[in-house]
Amino acid sequence: MASRAREFFIGVGDTAMNVARQVGGIVILFYEVVRALLPPRLDLRELMRNMLKMGYMSLPIIALTAFFTGGLMVIQSGIYVKQFNASALVGWGSGYAVFREIGPILIGLMFSGRVGANNTAELGTMTVTEQIDGLRALAIEPIRYLIAPRVVAMMLSLLCLTIIGDLIALGGGLLFSKLILNIEYSTFYYSLVDNLTPADFIQGLVKSVVFGTSIALTSCYFGITVRGGAVGVGRAVNAAVVSAAVSIMLLDFAVTYLLG
Amino acid sequence: MIEVQDVHKGFGHTPLLRGVNLSIPAGARYGIMGPAASGKSVLLKLFCGLLPVDAGTISIDGQTVTGLSESELMPIRNRIGMLFQNYALFDFMTVADNVAFPLRRRGQLDEDEIAARVSERLRRVGLAGSEDKFPSELSGGMKKRVGIARASIAKPDLVIYDEPSAGLDPVTTSKIYDLLLADQAETGGTVIAVSSDIEALEGFCQTIAMLYQGTIICEGDAGSIRDADNPIVRQFVRGDLKGPL
Amino acid sequence: MNPRRRIKRAIERVGARTLDFLSAALFLWSVFAHTLVGTIRGKRPKGEVVKQMYIIGNKSLVFVGVTLGFIGMVMIYQTCLQFGRITGDLSRIGHEFAKILVHDFAPTLTAMMLSTRVGAGIAAEVGSMKVTEQVDALRMSGVAPIDYLIVPRFIACVVMMVVLSIFGAVVAFVLGGLTAANAFGVNTHTYFDLSGVNFTHLGLGLTKAVAYGMAIPIISGYCGLRAQGSSEGVGSATTAAVIGSSFAVIVLDFIISAFGLIVLGEGL
Repeated sequence: MASRAREFFIGVGDTAMNVARQVGGIVILFYEVVRALLPPRLDLRELMRNMLKMGYMSLPIIALTAFFTGGLMVIQSGIYVKQFNASALVGWGSGYAVFREIGPILIGLMFSGRVGANNTAELGTMTVTEQIDGLRALAIEPIRYLIAPRVVAMMLSLLCLTIIGDLIALGGGLLFSKLILNIEYSTFYYSLVDNLTPADFIQGLVKSVVFGTSIALTSCYFGITVRGGAVGVGRAVNAAVVSAAVSIMLLDFAVTYLLG
Repeated sequence: MIEVQDVHKGFGHTPLLRGVNLSIPAGARYGIMGPAASGKSVLLKLFCGLLPVDAGTISIDGQTVTGLSESELMPIRNRIGMLFQNYALFDFMTVADNVAFPLRRRGQLDEDEIAARVSERLRRVGLAGSEDKFPSELSGGMKKRVGIARASIAKPDLVIYDEPSAGLDPVTTSKIYDLLLADQAETGGTVIAVSSDIEALEGFCQTIAMLYQGTIICEGDAGSIRDADNPIVRQFVRGDLKGPL
Repeated sequence: MNPRRRIKRAIERVGARTLDFLSAALFLWSVFAHTLVGTIRGKRPKGEVVKQMYIIGNKSLVFVGVTLGFIGMVMIYQTCLQFGRITGDLSRIGHEFAKILVHDFAPTLTAMMLSTRVGAGIAAEVGSMKVTEQVDALRMSGVAPIDYLIVPRFIACVVMMVVLSIFGAVVAFVLGGLTAANAFGVNTHTYFDLSGVNFTHLGLGLTKAVAYGMAIPIISGYCGLRAQGSSEGVGSATTAAVIGSSFAVIVLDFIISAFGLIVLGEGL
């Protein structure tokens, strides 16, 4: 019995050490990326290529997700509308939730799943096939050439995608409130516009920039620390996506509290 | 035993096998050779129905294999043992469990008999005592030998070896082919071996065929393959630098 | 290239893509059907279901706890902030939060988290087995890969989704209460009010948990079985699994919630 307890504590200790090592590694990566970015000698072509790929790649799924999320918000408020006859509040309620929370979080999660995972898989494969070492042998610094453009590209793409996604979510909300709750388009629209401030929108965008940086750093970190072939790449993608999800939740709380 | 008629197989827009015709008699030791990426492994997978053909038919013992569903293929696969090119060992099981897997699936022997057979097989391939190791702890050559043990343990009527000696040293290679010969003498089954090691194939097989650019360009007695009429075959077998290849 | 050929080529491409899409959808459906049949009748390795339940459940406990805990805190924080401005009356916060946690947020958010952890895990495992030909080796030994690989994970995931949703709901509710008490001075007795939760809520929440628990392993297993190539193939499969599962969760949430609202509206 005592040995079981000992094993448990060793396990907890190991996990804690692992997490600490990963967080440390990511912070170091952040520092190196920032250093590579000043003075800003970014490879613009790489940046554009990455932004195009990431934006283009995720637009369909983000659009669909945002659309259904808007509908979901409406359905959830539908209960209160029926109880309190609060049709005038649906536009505001949906807009508030989408801009401040649901928009950045869900779009961030989808982005992490699509672009983040893909990025980890690419970098992981490059590591496993020794292409990163190959770059070093050619006197090209991987951080400046490969990683920094990706981090910046992911940050900027998520920002743009969140803006687009927020608008699509509201569009979905508009449509579904008419279809399901019989709320006129104009009611929804005015309720939204009259009650929401730019601050609500901006706070959501701040979150998406923070999320974007976090997703970018975690996905690059797990990509370049892959070990072990095909199985290792799969595990790295798994770890990257999980870490990104946890960090999104943590950072969401932090930003909400700080900007409250 | 195996009849292959005008089989075509391609991936995407790239054709790989363009009209393969083969006839492998029962009890034969048949070798297939060819340049890299010529479709040898794909052909073997078509025999077992692991991949569907684009056109043509394959029949084993008179029964058509192409176009059957997975459950219909099961009884046929029960009679086939296969060594994959990359060994395909189950990396979440021990060596002993890997080798015993085909026997356990058939469910005809009890555990003691299975353990005895597994030990005997492992001893024959030179891996006695490694029952409890995991594939990740073995070298490439050792994994290949475990794969051979697994393919042959249920004494199947048809055994297919994809590159049985690649990555093995000459002495081990001889031992492996000795083992394959002894197995076949005991069961009287058919053996198909795919290899780039011409000398080993010559020593082991009775008939050798060459797969080149999607078709079988030559099929003949192992003893006379070096003097074949086809210049491509001659160049391949002798390893000459000059020639049509 | 003259315009007529261009149009012809474009149509061919659309046609080919549609055929690909249809055959992929068909394969996905057959994976689902085979898994259901396999759950009832299939042969699977002994103890595999329990092992998978451990992998999925125990190992996700901390992950779900942390994420749902933070979400609970954020939601209560935002709600208190807004309601404080409008009505100043925070007494119903706990009551309403409990209801929405049970019938929607707990199962859905837990599932979103699991689709990253478990979805990626299943796709990575099955995918690397496919790519190293172990799946073919299983077929050669007379074993249906779906019975052997996917069914145990399917059963384990459905069970664990329900368990983890309950756990997540509790964590979110409790941490939300702590936030409300500490940051907004809400009386804990007023907050911890479960009287509003009825069977309709429980039914909806349970349906969602089960639906998500079925969708995640099926989609991830499907992506794993389609992996091709080597490490890039496994990476793509894992990515596709995470996206597919997350999206399926959102769509299923939408459908089941809409059903709840339209058909059962009064109970809520």
